[in-house]
Parts: sequence; C-alpha cells; structure tokens
Amino acid sequence: MRELPSGAGLLDIARDVLREDLLPALPEGKRYQALMVANAMAIVMRQIEAGEGATDVERTALEVLLGFAETPSGLNSEMARRIRGGKADEVDVWQALHEIAVGKVAESNPKYR
Amino acid sequence: MGLEAARIVEKLTDYLMQVTVGPVVVSSVVQLSGGAIQENWALDVDIRKGEWAGRHELVLRCDAASGVATSHSRSEEFTLLKTAHRAGVTVPVPCLNCDDISVLGRRFFLMHRVVGTTAGHRLARQPLVPGLPYELGQNLARIHTLKPPLPALSFLGDPPPHPAAAAIALYREYLDALDVAHPAIEWGLRWLQVNAPAPSGAVLCHRDYRTGNLMVRDGRLVAVLDWEFAGWSDPLEDIGWFCAKCWRFGAHDREAGGIGDREDFYKGYEDASGQSIDRKAVYYWEVMAHVRWAVIACQQAARHVSGEERSLELALTAHVIPELELEILDMTEPHHA
Repeated sequence: MRELPSGAGLLDIARDVLREDLLPALPEGKRYQALMVANAMAIVMRQIEAGEGATDVERTALEVLLGFAETPSGLNSEMARRIRGGKADEVDVWQALHEIAVGKVAESNPKYR
Repeated sequence: MGLEAARIVEKLTDYLMQVTVGPVVVSSVVQLSGGAIQENWALDVDIRKGEWAGRHELVLRCDAASGVATSHSRSEEFTLLKTAHRAGVTVPVPCLNCDDISVLGRRFFLMHRVVGTTAGHRLARQPLVPGLPYELGQNLARIHTLKPPLPALSFLGDPPPHPAAAAIALYREYLDALDVAHPAIEWGLRWLQVNAPAPSGAVLCHRDYRTGNLMVRDGRLVAVLDWEFAGWSDPLEDIGWFCAKCWRFGAHDREAGGIGDREDFYKGYEDASGQSIDRKAVYYWEVMAHVRWAVIACQQAARHVSGEERSLELALTAHVIPELELEILDMTEPHHA
C-alpha cells in the first residue's frame, strides 16, 4: 500500500507552497509562469480525483449513439465524421456532447460559468 | 539566438545615418516582452538633421530568430499599419520599413513607442470607463472603412465571396490536420454551416481585435496592435470576436471584451460608421469566434504534444478547449421537437 498522502494530496500541498510562499517572493516578470504551474497542478489534481469517470461517460455516450464499441479516439472520429456529414443533427447528439463537455470542464476549469 | 542590443545600436546607427544623411544617436535599447514569433525592441533615436530631426521614442519590430511562419511579413504589417493610420485608426505610427536583411540580419520596421497596458485580466478588473468601449467601437468602424480593392493591400488577395463559408472550410481543414477528432467543435461548424447569414460586403478586418491586443492608458485607447491576421472579411467577424465570452477575461457580464457594456461599443461603432449593427448576426459570429479559438487552441496544444515546441502555455491551452466546446454547445442548443 502506498504511503499517504496520495499523489493528489502531494500536489495539493505542493501547490499551497507554490502559491503562498514562493509566488509572493517571485519578481513580477515570473509571476505569470508560477500561476501557470499552479494551474497545471490543479488540473492534474482534479484528473487524479476524477479517475476515469469522465472518460467512461464519454465512451458510453458515444457507443450508445454510434451503436458500436471502439477506442475513444475511434469513437470521436466517427462521431465527428457523422456530424460534419449532416447525419447527426439530433437533440440526443447534442445532449451527449454536452454531457461530455460538462465532465471535461469539471476537470479543466470547474469555476467556468 | 536573438539580436543583441549592442549590435542593434551599431547597425541601426549606420543605417539611419545613410537614410537621414546626418548624425544619428541610437540609445536605450531594451528588448520588450513579446511573442515567440516577433521580437520588439524599445529604443530612442536622436536625429540631428533633415525632416526627421529630433528625438524619437521608437519600437523596432522584427521576426524572431525561430522564424515561425505567420500570415503576414513585417513589411506587409508595416503597410497595414500605415493604411490604418491614414484611415484614422489609433495605431503606433509606423516610421520606416527596412527589407534589406544585410542591415540587421532580418527585415524590420520602426514605429512610435506607445505606453499603456494590454493585459486583459487587469483591464477586466478595472472600474468601468463607458468612453472606452465607445472609443473601441469607433476605432473598429474606422478599420472597416477600408474596402477592397486597395492596391497597397493587394497582398491580402481577393476578398472571399462568402467569408463565413470560407472560414468554415478553413477550420475543417485545420481540424483534419490534427490527430484527434473534436465532435463538439464539428457540431459548432455544422451549426455555422446551416445557420450562415447572407454575406455582407467584405471590408478590412483586423481579425484579432480583442482585449489583450488593444493598448489602453488612463481609460483611453492608445494603440490597436497585432495586425498579423488582418484580411478581407465580414465586418461582423471582428464585432463577434471582440464581444465573444471567451475574450472577456472572466468579466462575463461586461459583454464588450470584459471592459464595458456591449451597447456602448455598438454605439461607438454605429456613430462612426453610420450603419446599424445586426444584433442577431453578431450572435452567429460569436459562435464562430468560439469555434475559431477552439480550433486555434487545438493547433497550439498539438504543437506542444508533438514536441515541435515544448511550452507550458501551449500545454495549458489544451485545457481551455473543454470550456470553449461547452460554450459552443450552449450557444447552439437545438430546439426540442
């Protein structure tokens, strides 16, 4: 069994040190980069905490719409192809894409909106 | 490797002495922060004789050594600045263009140095100045007074007969060059295809007229920057790009670029152009703005992921794509049957 804190827990405390101790000590010209590092760490933390949940939701939603199983990349390619060809204009397609996007935003930028 | 201050002083002094036929002193050369594509250097030039006699606070702009290909060359950008300046657009006054690469090793031009802030996150948190969105609207209208054909801008090519259709085709081409498909962006492109309004006549569009590229000081516009994407398009493309939620820097209720009221911006534009803005058609171009930014974000992310250019900024841009996709979907929700 791994020691605690876990990976997400380590990132959390490391991010606190970066933001609270290091950031104020940085020259103005380096602050933006430090904020980018903190942002990257936060995204990784949320991905670790979410596990494969969002990816599973995406795969299931696309498989239901398309009617076959494939790799995530293959499913996205086929979905994109159908949409472009005008063969997927229906509400249920929009609903699935919306559900997928909501799941991704929860990891990339949960404060959006 | 970039240019060095000492070399700029030496070479530029020689060059300007030839051009002005008199003594010249170049001083205070400092590199300004800027993109990976161009280098900008602040410098002062003292000219002792001739029509340009006096002290000039200037910026020297040249391609960066890495030389990423962009749509316009420096001399084309210089011509765009000159043309815009003559049309009354607030831009850094262009002074001198040099295509002779024996001078500095690359092409460059000189323009007046303007001081102010472009930082979107800062402008979006400042108290509202109603005159500013009005002024930004006025300025955009002045850019749009430039209409094809203009011999000086022949490098822009012919105006597309249907700018929206041309943009949709181009963004699909960009997406096809990527390794990963993006159904939500495709959904947006499909909506844009089905809902395309009839084209209005093409005008000169800045095509990156947004908070972040507009220099402001004391609540006034001092310079419209970054002309490298300028081209003939539907004027509503610029209006939609400026107002789109993705360029409000978090100040979502300030619909004019995160710095003011949309109606103040519209009023400035309408007063200066004498034409009313079709509000509904702007919505279409705001969807287009999110799609365009999403496609560019995919390209930037791919530049990092492929190893072509390792960069934390590019890497993080990948994680802006989901919120752009969500916005595109929210703006294009189909009506339930």
